[in-house]
Amino acid sequence: MAALNPTDIINAGEHVFIKMPSDNVKCIVLKAGSSVSLGKFGTFKANDIIGHAWGNSYEIYDRDSKTRVYHPEGISEVEETANNNREIVDDPTSQKLTLDDIKALKSEGLKGELTGEEIVNKLKESHTTFDKKTAYSQAKYLQKKGKKFHKVFTPIKPTAYSVNEYFYVKNPSKIRDIRMDTLSQLLSYSNVHSGCKLLVVDDTQGMIVSALAERMGGKGTILGLYDGDNPHYDIVKYMNFNQETLDTIKVLSWLRIHRPADEKTPDEMQDVTQLTGKDLEGYHRRLKAYNIVEESRKVLFEGNFDALIVASQYQPESILEKLLPYVAGSRPVIVYHGTKEALLETSTWMRKCPDLLAPQLTESWLRKSQVLPGRTHPEMSTWGTGGSLLTATKVIDQPVQAALTKRERLAMEKKNAEAKKLKRAREEAESATSSPAPVTAAAAVGDVADEAVEGVEEGTTAATMTDGDHESRSIKRAKQE
Amino acid sequence: MSETAVEKQSFATYKKNNTIEEGDNVVMYLSKENMSIIRVKDGEYFNCKFGNYKHSDMIGLEYGTKLGSNTGRGFLFLLYPTPELWTLVLPHRTQILYIADISFVMNYLNLKPGMSMIESGTGSGSFSHSIARTLAPHGHLYSFEYHQERVNAAKKEFEEHGLSDLVTLRCRDVCKDGFDLENKVDAVFLDLPAPWEAVASAKKAFKQNKVGKICTFSPCIEQISRTVTALTEQGFVDIQMYECLIRFNEIRVIPMWTIDEAMEKQRAVEKKRKRAAPRVVRDDNNNNTQDEESSSGHINKSIKVEPSVDDSNLSSAAATPSSTTESEMEDSVSTTVSTPVIGSETTASASEAEPRERIEPKNVVVTRLPAEQRGHTSYLMFATFTPATQGPSLTETKAAAAAASSSSAPAK
Ligand SMILES: C[S@@+](CC[C@H](N)C(=O)[O-])C[C@H]1O[C@@H](n2cnc3c(N)ncnc32)[C@H](O)[C@@H]1O
Repeated sequence: MAALNPTDIINAGEHVFIKMPSDNVKCIVLKAGSSVSLGKFGTFKANDIIGHAWGNSYEIYDRDSKTRVYHPEGISEVEETANNNREIVDDPTSQKLTLDDIKALKSEGLKGELTGEEIVNKLKESHTTFDKKTAYSQAKYLQKKGKKFHKVFTPIKPTAYSVNEYFYVKNPSKIRDIRMDTLSQLLSYSNVHSGCKLLVVDDTQGMIVSALAERMGGKGTILGLYDGDNPHYDIVKYMNFNQETLDTIKVLSWLRIHRPADEKTPDEMQDVTQLTGKDLEGYHRRLKAYNIVEESRKVLFEGNFDALIVASQYQPESILEKLLPYVAGSRPVIVYHGTKEALLETSTWMRKCPDLLAPQLTESWLRKSQVLPGRTHPEMSTWGTGGSLLTATKVIDQPVQAALTKRERLAMEKKNAEAKKLKRAREEAESATSSPAPVTAAAAVGDVADEAVEGVEEGTTAATMTDGDHESRSIKRAKQE
Repeated sequence: MSETAVEKQSFATYKKNNTIEEGDNVVMYLSKENMSIIRVKDGEYFNCKFGNYKHSDMIGLEYGTKLGSNTGRGFLFLLYPTPELWTLVLPHRTQILYIADISFVMNYLNLKPGMSMIESGTGSGSFSHSIARTLAPHGHLYSFEYHQERVNAAKKEFEEHGLSDLVTLRCRDVCKDGFDLENKVDAVFLDLPAPWEAVASAKKAFKQNKVGKICTFSPCIEQISRTVTALTEQGFVDIQMYECLIRFNEIRVIPMWTIDEAMEKQRAVEKKRKRAAPRVVRDDNNNNTQDEESSSGHINKSIKVEPSVDDSNLSSAAATPSSTTESEMEDSVSTTVSTPVIGSETTASASEAEPRERIEPKNVVVTRLPAEQRGHTSYLMFATFTPATQGPSLTETKAAAAAASSSSAPAK
């Protein structure tokens, strides 16, 4: 057997998502020795799952809340029958059991005298038209009743995905509507990996910080800037991170970025040699807090961040302007917002910012389908918004040499126009013959498509313009907006 | 050339010095659609239609630097090759995965540093690069491909991209011969025409005492059906299917004049016409302007405002009602009027004397989905391996149950 990591096992004191037969998910902190109530589905003992590997489902099977590993029999292929719905009429009397009978069954179930499967079987047997149902609706009936009476639960391990899904379903505004697919894309665009150094402004209650930290596996640094008294990274606690990973997350208040002129070090405030007892404790507390801030400042001012990720309630440009200088060259800059509209101004700002290359505004679309053998179809309810991403690359702008004379430029433009025509023709010929072009390339059509061709023109402009010009232009522009 | 030690590059991480050195792979960014990748070698040139670039000029520059061509006629950006960029520049030997699917699969499979994973087929190695980066530095990717030339090409790329230590590439028909791995991996990804044929072998490859996840990628719903059956049969649970797409927006800046402003401009134009006397009334003036319009493409552009072209002075110069011609355009740009005053002769004449001020329309930023958005790519099907998944398949169990009278002891 492969050796198990502590993270492969359900440990006491951790957050656990419990998926219930109804498909509802409940979040608990698993306390050793406790009993966990799942409402109408019964109760189980925490110790029955503590120390076991993640992934199994459990069935509560008797009145002492005993549990056993439950493995579904496998969902069998629906066999076509000659039945159809023609003979089925809506008839409340088709169920021969009375409401009281069912209640009795339920309570027997609760006491553990009947298993969920047995109850469902009883219901099925006393259903007069069950046999007349089509195979599909029989299957659906059993599934529906199963959800009601089976006492099977599945502990789900908190991961960036499962935590995201849990909150997206339960309370999307808490995480500013960031959906699993959008978060995935953010992770890919950010190129987060073990050992990297990230600068983050995260107002999704730490959903983004959590996902990034998971991908870094305890190596590297995330510096999160926050406003208010404390960083609100509530989501982090659901992730069951070990200390090593928690240590990769550093924070700094916007107000503390620069040391106020009148800020004194704890040593300047007090002479430690004179302190005793409570005073000395207080001093050490202050020193520790002071050092944490100093350390975070140092991380910030050393710059060279491998990505800047902003998911803030504040105007993104105002944040980018301040933080871009700390980002290394050829690194991603990503802005998340719950609505695309909030990013429109930012994208025009980005386009004019000489330090940013190729801003791109994307939204994601996600559809989930029910898959059962022979019964695959899209789910009834699809998701609403999942947020929007604006991504660009930090570049190092510098004037390019040698402006062209007007004549050279015109000649070049002519040549380019021809080259462009040729390219188009070639592409058209190509796309007519070859397989579909890649999504990304196709999607970018028309956006910066002409940039290279016009690079000549822009190049000349850039050449005659100093960096300062560029900057003041973009800042002026930013102020106007 | 340089005698000093060169920091070896890997696509799985950045270089500490963030500096271009001999032997590095560098992405030449001309535009979103015009990117290519080179290996830097002193003495060589990168040539494109905007000029040529000496490799030796790149050496020592920080990644992300803008570099002018040696004729001064163009420029490009020197970007660090990340797995995401690789997907955009790689030579296509097969269909490949793009960021929408790559990122969703990685997130769902919960990939992170230290994990082990199977991928088949390797294809063009698009996904492999992202996986390797995410599992690094101590995790491992087992990648399988039965096409010998693709294996050779991918092997060379993994070496050149500093990923050899992270990836084991095997030439093997996984449907016929399986993965030949037992109790080894945390996740499996199958991008094969017949993934269901590899499911039984994949099951053995999972670490048997912990939870694991499998994903299959199939364009057709028929493939999905057969795979669901195979997964169920092998005891995988929690089967789910997703489709994921990214919509790329075009951003446009639409100037919006008030009707008063528009009329003010119109008046100014009429006034100018009168002053410019002889040409004005003649018909061929119209033709004239029309010719001008069609001969120089940018006029058209500035009138209709193609704001997705990020020419910074465009949006402000742009945008007069579409009936205006170039000469009027220029006029309008320089027309005065701080507040549009309707029909006042004095304003117009005053404008002659005073420094001219632009009329700036209110700009509205809008998005458009490009006409051609790629639709559906493929179905992503996921399932979970649990410690209870191990053991005989469903049919085997049923056969056994039929033979003996079944009695299943409650598992602890
Ligand atoms: C669509 S490509 C994979 C593309 C890859 N995911 C990427 O992103 O670049 C599918 C590959 O699977 C390979 N393949 C098909 N059947 C196979 C089998 N039975 N064993 C191994 N490889 C196989 C094909 O040769 C092909 O290269």
